Amino acid sequence: MKATLQVVNRMQADGVIAKYAIGGAVGATFYLEPSATLDIDIFVAFGSASGSLLLSMQPIYDYLTARKYPVEGEYIIIEGWQVQFLPPGDALGEEALAQAVETQVDSVPTWVMTAEHLVALALQLGRAKDFSRVLQFIEAGVLNTVKLDQILSRHELLAKWEQFGDRFLRKR
Amino acid sequence: MRKVLEGKRDTRRRLAALPFSQKLILLEKLRDRSLLIAASSLRRQQHRRQPA
Repeated sequence: MKATLQVVNRMQADGVIAKYAIGGAVGATFYLEPSATLDIDIFVAFGSASGSLLLSMQPIYDYLTARKYPVEGEYIIIEGWQVQFLPPGDALGEEALAQAVETQVDSVPTWVMTAEHLVALALQLGRAKDFSRVLQFIEAGVLNTVKLDQILSRHELLAKWEQFGDRFLRKR
Repeated sequence: MRKVLEGKRDTRRRLAALPFSQKLILLEKLRDRSLLIAASSLRRQQHRRQPA
């Protein structure tokens, strides 16, 4: 993983991507106990010389394939890990990327989404594994509930949160 | 039973408290195990398809 992150950091230094943040299961591992995953979700903002927003992932693919990293479906295999590069998608994704926290993996700097943003994104996606992750976050007691409430409110996810609570948290 | 559940909770807490770098090493081991299991399953399926 360290080698994978070093490559991503090099992409950033070379201007292929601007800020990035690890999300998904690997991001959640920053706060929780590790759970099996096969890929790394990396949310990226794109940089360009002109400062304009690039909407294509092509520069990422071009950069990495030129360095012999193979593409497998939606993934690029970087130093043994399947990496999926994702655009922020919406305002929540953009906020999650902007507010990501810096950490280090064996002295390699990297950025991870906050626990509250990971929960909000999981709630938004709403798959079984996402709900399971939200429950893990709640059980671990690592959430700042005020901050989470603000995020859910800002991105119109309070109704989903209520539904989640009815389904998984309240005793019948 | 309560002791078992408390033990599991303690283990999860202990794992969650590890430094991120160490957790990523565990993540790699979990991934390798998952891939190994997946590969074994595929091999079994291929063996089944082969004529005797």
